[in-house]
Amino acid sequence: MPILLNPPRNNWHSKDCIIKTLYSLCLLIFLSCISVSTYAVNVIVHSSVSESVLTTSQLRRIYTMRLTQWMDGQRITVYVLPRHHLLHLQFSKERLEMYPYQLDRIWNKLTYSGLGVAPITIMSPEALVEAVRTTPGAIGYVEKLKDEKGFYVIEVKG
Amino acid sequence: MLLKLKAKVANVLIKKLLLLTAVLYLFSTAVMASEQNFQLHGFVSQGIIDVNGSNFVNDDGSLSTELTELGLNASYQLNSTLRLTGQVVYLNGGNRYAEGVRIDYALLDWSVYDSYRWQANVYLGRFKNNHWLYSSTRDIPFARPSIILPQSVYFDGFRDIAVGSDGIAVKISHSDDDYGDFDLNLSYGSSAISGKQAVMILSALAQGKIKQDYDAQASLYWQPTYSSWRFGVSLLDSTFSYNMNDDFDFFFDGDFSFQFYTINALYEGENWEFSGEIYQQSFSTEGFYNRQHASSPIGQGAYLQSRYKVNEKLTLLARYERYYNDKEDKKGKKLEETTGGLVPAYFAYHRDTTVGMSYDFSSDFSLKLEYHWLQGAGRLTPVVIPNPFINSSKNWKLWAAQLMYWF
Repeated sequence: MPILLNPPRNNWHSKDCIIKTLYSLCLLIFLSCISVSTYAVNVIVHSSVSESVLTTSQLRRIYTMRLTQWMDGQRITVYVLPRHHLLHLQFSKERLEMYPYQLDRIWNKLTYSGLGVAPITIMSPEALVEAVRTTPGAIGYVEKLKDEKGFYVIEVKG
Repeated sequence: MLLKLKAKVANVLIKKLLLLTAVLYLFSTAVMASEQNFQLHGFVSQGIIDVNGSNFVNDDGSLSTELTELGLNASYQLNSTLRLTGQVVYLNGGNRYAEGVRIDYALLDWSVYDSYRWQANVYLGRFKNNHWLYSSTRDIPFARPSIILPQSVYFDGFRDIAVGSDGIAVKISHSDDDYGDFDLNLSYGSSAISGKQAVMILSALAQGKIKQDYDAQASLYWQPTYSSWRFGVSLLDSTFSYNMNDDFDFFFDGDFSFQFYTINALYEGENWEFSGEIYQQSFSTEGFYNRQHASSPIGQGAYLQSRYKVNEKLTLLARYERYYNDKEDKKGKKLEETTGGLVPAYFAYHRDTTVGMSYDFSSDFSLKLEYHWLQGAGRLTPVVIPNPFINSSKNWKLWAAQLMYWF
């Protein structure tokens, strides 16, 4: 009998293990999905920037040119990709929670009426990273990180 | 003789533009090293426009290419608080406004206060009107909703006076996580009125000189936190004086006083965009027609506009607008009676139904197309002494297409 009883016990034990493993796997997949969607577009800043965290509303203010200086008084230089670039569309919707045409309205008004300056448009994602890397106080965005030399990814909280 | 004169004028214009381009190019190469401190932008646009039934663009009603808008601007950050900026434009809109090169704005922008929540800027020099929904971008083809804007608020006949002033302007912005974004704009100044402009506003018969004494404006905008809505209100007070030509004139010395109030709302959703402005004006005249003349009609207008973004490239437009010069005479009966039938009733109002589309070929190259059905001649030039001989129809139509490139 004990011989007969043991297998089911072992069986239960192994089932439990499988369920736990599956559960962990699902959790991992779920978490990795979340992290993938959160970091589809990374916000990057020049290494001279002392802030390590921004709120979404601070990021919006920076990109709508309502916040022009970092906390230490350093001027913020804002870089963007052309307005129809897929990464720009993704950045506007996901990180700024704004429609790209809203940004166009604000930036065109600043640029062509003398009220202020708009972000500087850079033609390619690679050149944008290079611009952030070489401009003190700069902010930009990137899809894939190859390295973090001269800049770092800044955390953006909701 | 006339052709020679035209060629000469064109020659002067081309020389001016070339000189300006050369100066800006030299300036840009000198400071290009610091890209974040210097910015150069511009736009080129050309269109065709066909108006049937009015002198809105030309007197003979033929298809016209008088729809050219060119601009070049530069901005240079002198230090952490001072910035120099200016824009030169060349505009040709036929009868809509005076054709030619003009300095659109040229100003010193002084960032007086800049903090996490507050920004205060003072603008000295020639600044643009930033008070109405589209006033600061009315000449920027890709930054306005249509080729022809609602004439009740953005009347082309008053463009040169309404587009900006020489003087001082202040902008105070406040950003609040709970209550949203606030923008307060104040301005005080005046605009020079050219001979061409005087003919458009008054009449070719006016031999004297008209000048603007002052123009004071204020506006407040509010966008609640994370809202798709934005609301605004604006006030304008301005006076003009006319000095008759002592040798010979059909008119007398006169004083004009103009007050203009607007409220506006803008909704920006994912696909739908709605905007509208309601406005009231008071236009008082003392003298001018005769020494004892005094009138003070109150005009009102409004438009409602919707835009639908079919995709990232294609946007459709529909708009309806109504305007009348005198709220006590909306259909113009009184106007026709008091002028003994010389000025028909339809000169008292303006109505416009517009449909259009905008297509982006790329991030910086776009096409706009639109069709307008209009009734009334209340927003045609000359304003003070209307021309019922050319504008002999109550109903008129226009269509226009414009290609634009910007950088």
